[in-house]
Amino acid sequence: MTRLIGKPEEVARDHYMLRLDAGDAVSAPGQFVTIKPGEGTDPLLRRPFSLFDHHDGVIEIVVRVVGRGTGLISRAGGELDMLGPMGRGFSLERAGSALLVGGGVGCAPLNYLARALKGAGTRVTMLFGASSSGFVYCRDEFIRNSHDFHVTTDDGSEGRGGTVVSLMAELLAAEKYDRIYCCGPTVMMKKAVELAGPVPVEISVENYFGCGFGICAGCTIETTSGLKRACVHGPVFDGRSVILGSLG
Amino acid sequence: MDLSVKIGNLLLKNPVTLASGTSGYGEELSAFIRLSDIGAIFTKGLSLEPRQGNRGNRIMETPSGVLNSIGLENVGLECFLREKMPFLVKQGATVIPNVAGHSIEENVELCKTLSRTPGVAAVELNVSCPNVKEGGIAFGTSMPVFTELVSKVRTVTGIPLIIKLSPNVADPGEFALRAQEIGADAVSAVNTFLGMKIDVKKGRPHFLNKVAGLSGPAIRPMAVRVVYQIYERINIPIIGMGGIFELEDMLEFLMAGAAAVSLGTVTMVHPGRSAELLGGLADYMKKNSMTDLSRLTGMAHRPE
Repeated sequence: MTRLIGKPEEVARDHYMLRLDAGDAVSAPGQFVTIKPGEGTDPLLRRPFSLFDHHDGVIEIVVRVVGRGTGLISRAGGELDMLGPMGRGFSLERAGSALLVGGGVGCAPLNYLARALKGAGTRVTMLFGASSSGFVYCRDEFIRNSHDFHVTTDDGSEGRGGTVVSLMAELLAAEKYDRIYCCGPTVMMKKAVELAGPVPVEISVENYFGCGFGICAGCTIETTSGLKRACVHGPVFDGRSVILGSLG
Repeated sequence: MDLSVKIGNLLLKNPVTLASGTSGYGEELSAFIRLSDIGAIFTKGLSLEPRQGNRGNRIMETPSGVLNSIGLENVGLECFLREKMPFLVKQGATVIPNVAGHSIEENVELCKTLSRTPGVAAVELNVSCPNVKEGGIAFGTSMPVFTELVSKVRTVTGIPLIIKLSPNVADPGEFALRAQEIGADAVSAVNTFLGMKIDVKKGRPHFLNKVAGLSGPAIRPMAVRVVYQIYERINIPIIGMGGIFELEDMLEFLMAGAAAVSLGTVTMVHPGRSAELLGGLADYMKKNSMTDLSRLTGMAHRPE
């Protein structure tokens, strides 16, 4: 069992920050942990969460409450049944500048990535897309871990009004980036990959996981080199290799 | 304490096994358990050629259960023999490949080759696959087709043959009895129950294949019932499965008549549970002064 440090903290509407005692676990940006919601067999399956950060033996995750399972986890106290960190994360290749594009809870892994890239000397521009200001979380961390931080909201209640990909398009037209990283809803990532043009782009997929460690083959996605299990071959993939139209 | 289980001329070291479909080829689970500790591993349903499996949604949680429509994705016989078997043998695992051909000929070919493969302890025939030549009806739901398949496979299988029964028939006991008459060494009971999910936002079935297999604690009472009924009809061992999560669940299957049990869905949630339950069973028997597993098997059938 993994000890929860403090109580889950509401960091935005329906979004909770959990800090977990990870002992001497090692991780990389883009990796995830899975947590069993509550006790007993309903809900049954573990829920996957990308790491928002991992430092000093503490793993941070952002839980968006979408149903009963995530609701239980957002109200947890004491100890949690956690597995991981697991999965293949983002590549941390040296690049002069990187553009990080996130949507909603999908921004979470980009925070850990931003900190790692910035620490390695990459210039980091982070775009946080949300439907409304109330859903934007952890602005201070994103600001600290990037060089430029921009918020977009669909309803214009914070930052730039409109979608995060429309701002991405503007930035790409004005400036050159060496690498693009993206995590969020499928439709957003599809657009981001199109906009990336020739720039290398990595995406972290968020499809439905069964086991989360490779035995059930339930999370398979279609790629240009055949079907891949998102949990073990990903969740981070070369954006151009994923046939995003096949994702639900 | 004797925990061993005899299946034909094969002696499993203990009755806790890993079910096919939720164990892969043991690679992932070997990070959580020692494969040599458990009774056997039933590997992913195998076909002659690699199969990609189904497109679209493949898995979803239901109340205390899981619906799956994986579509028997597997690496194919050649890769299994070349890459997967050596790993399993090196781990000291007792390997029982699950055979999931889509025609009688394919199943015969698979069993013939596997019977001659060193390290393969037995084969488990999955009769819930669609019989492609007969319009996709599962082998295990038509008695004449089932009889033909099991007979032909038995002839070429020189090692213990286990038939994994479908629960999606009126009387699984009839099929178990037929398997015994043909000379099967054991039956596995049961495979997943057919289920379905409608996506109400789209007004469409959630899975492209429309129906899907339901597993997990949701099916446990039905699976225990099937094992109990089959036990009254046959003398060969039953490998019981269907939603085992805790020691008590395992004891239910044993007392209903299972000689061994398989863990499936639970492994997805708790990858180390097989080893834990094996320890739990040994403790239980010790506490109850049982030295032989056969005391437990079928206990619920015996007069008080």
